[in-house]
Amino acid sequence: MADTPAPYSGPMLTFISGDGVHIECERDVAERSLLIKNMLEDLGGANEEIPIPNVNEAVLKKVIEWCRHHKNDPPSTGEEDDSRRKTTDIDEWDQKFTQVDQEMLFEIILAANYLDIKGLLDVGCKTVANMIKGKSPEEIRKTFNIQNDFTPEEEDQIRRENEWAEDR
Amino acid sequence: MPKRRNVEDLPPPKRLRMTPNGHLDHISRLSDELLLHILSFLPLPSLLVCQQLSRRFHVLAGDSELWKRQYYSRWVRPRARRLPNARRALLSRSEIEYSPRVSTWLDHSHLAKEGVATNWKRQYRLRHNWSRGACQVTEIEFPQPLRRQMLVTFCAGIVFTADSDHGLRAWAAEKPGQCLARSPLAKSPSRSLPAPTAMAAATSGPQQSLIDVTIGFEDGCLGVYTLDTTNFWIETRFAYVEGTGEAITAMASYSPFLLLVSQHKVLSLYETITDEDGWSLTPRLLTTLKADTILEPISLSVRAAGPKIVASIVYSFYHIGCGWSLGIQELQFGLDGQQLSSRLATTVDCQYGIMSPTSRSRSKRDYRTTYVVGSGNELNTRPPGPSISHYEPPTSVSYSHPYLLTSHADNTLTVYLVVSTSTSLSVTSCQRLWGHTSSVSAVQVSDRGKAVSVSSRGDDIRIWELESLVSSLGGHRAFRDGNSIRVSPGNRADQRHDSLDLVSESSQGQLNANRSSSVDNTYGLTRMHNCVGFDDERVLLLREKEVGTQMLELYDFT
Repeated sequence: MADTPAPYSGPMLTFISGDGVHIECERDVAERSLLIKNMLEDLGGANEEIPIPNVNEAVLKKVIEWCRHHKNDPPSTGEEDDSRRKTTDIDEWDQKFTQVDQEMLFEIILAANYLDIKGLLDVGCKTVANMIKGKSPEEIRKTFNIQNDFTPEEEDQIRRENEWAEDR
Repeated sequence: MPKRRNVEDLPPPKRLRMTPNGHLDHISRLSDELLLHILSFLPLPSLLVCQQLSRRFHVLAGDSELWKRQYYSRWVRPRARRLPNARRALLSRSEIEYSPRVSTWLDHSHLAKEGVATNWKRQYRLRHNWSRGACQVTEIEFPQPLRRQMLVTFCAGIVFTADSDHGLRAWAAEKPGQCLARSPLAKSPSRSLPAPTAMAAATSGPQQSLIDVTIGFEDGCLGVYTLDTTNFWIETRFAYVEGTGEAITAMASYSPFLLLVSQHKVLSLYETITDEDGWSLTPRLLTTLKADTILEPISLSVRAAGPKIVASIVYSFYHIGCGWSLGIQELQFGLDGQQLSSRLATTVDCQYGIMSPTSRSRSKRDYRTTYVVGSGNELNTRPPGPSISHYEPPTSVSYSHPYLLTSHADNTLTVYLVVSTSTSLSVTSCQRLWGHTSSVSAVQVSDRGKAVSVSSRGDDIRIWELESLVSSLGGHRAFRDGNSIRVSPGNRADQRHDSLDLVSESSQGQLNANRSSSVDNTYGLTRMHNCVGFDDERVLLLREKEVGTQMLELYDFT
């Protein structure tokens, strides 16, 4: 449910989260999700409840919050332009938005991927990329609790393999 | 990423991985696809760090598509912005955007071979190493044959050496020192062997899997040896075709065409025709020219240009006005061996600054610039004085259309741009290249504009990317040094340089002067013979070391 309902008179949709909670959402906000948008087009505006089984309530609310803030963004061109990829700058609102614990962050990424919300997926992935940037392998492993499954010899070999770029 | 999915179509639930310290590894829940998406936002150093995280990340961060993108943004896009022609063509599309189709990249079609997956990380590293001169050097020592120089050539990653003592030998450039194949020069050991005097190699066959090595001998005979690179078998398809009786001094081949120059300056173009039995070849003389005025150094080349075969000889001559100049004689043939045209161009006009497209765009400042050695402004001076003049013959010439380079004892190189159209042959622009700090003894250029030059003592090897120079030749800015990269082998920390300081030089120089008085520029312990060649991965140099030994040096940039 929206915390601050905007003056909106269009049709409303109801999602059912994976943990069975009903959440209302404006249709134009929900259409940031290409999955929902395509589904609604296929179904033709049926006023049904839409189950989103693998996204729980907290995550779904977060996703809707993002969609609501970005509902007037120009639609993505589809083709990935390179300038966007070069930068990991994230706008201020999105930065605040992604200040969540890791579990939530990765849930958001999974949900954005599943619901096909390209903008949100990029924000999530950029946030993770920024957490990786500039860190040593050990620091990254610690940040994400990644298990090092290399033998010491392998680790040493890979380090030497990649030495060529170290003076960059 | 699939754009549509049914709501019911759930991905299988991923198991959370628990690390020993009890924390949850959330990132490993993501699919490879999503992790690649995250990695695509990372700069190159972070990618390399990620490869060290775990086995899974090692594979993902080494993904060829990720590196292809990195390759594009590091090497292709900056260049596309720089080249004026490309800028016009590409900026009209508002932004130079990454395209996965390599064919749309500038001059990268050689990296997109049909059906062959390109390892983009490897390509990136190769390019990176070239741009810094970072390489590993391997030296192979050869005892010098008694009678003549050992001949060396480099083709398709294989080094060929030929001398009368050991015959023809093929060496793998990847594993220097490993002899892949050998063959005696003569078919029958009973025949007395004249010394080989010139060698050329070119790939042939339907898959380019054969390498035809042609060797010319001091009695004017020819031998063609074909190496099959699939089984490393050398087939001597014919040997000893009677020639003119004069030593063959230079050769170039483009299968089945063969261009050669004899000792008495006769230039001949042959087509080698396979006999009916498929085992022997007959050379058919297409044309021959007597060229008394041509002087060393010369450079021969044969190339295909559409439906034509273009054979050219670049030679030196002395011009009364501007000193040592170059002439280009170009012979055009149809594939049937029918001569279409023969034409000549020289660098003289260009050295005077005539015909240069820069003459229209020069700035006022350049009018008062007179010829000053080392000023770097020679390009833009105006007649009557030549803008580029050489008082000594070039030490070497290399021509790979459209680039023509000469090296000089005055520490410089000169680059000319040759334009060959259906109606005319001309040299449009020229410029001196600065960067070497001692006499330059050899230069080699490839058709993609990469050049390698070597100082006469062999202690300074430089790589030049001439493509950007070509665009600057037409503009106001002169090409500055710093655009050449000094090769610095990682496994040889300038030790050679130290051993060549002035003290040892004076004592060793005496020795050398006594030994070979006929050889010029001999004042070091070692003397560069020539730059044998280079390909996308390696540079091969031949160095004359001490009495009786020669050294092949292989600089590996992979």
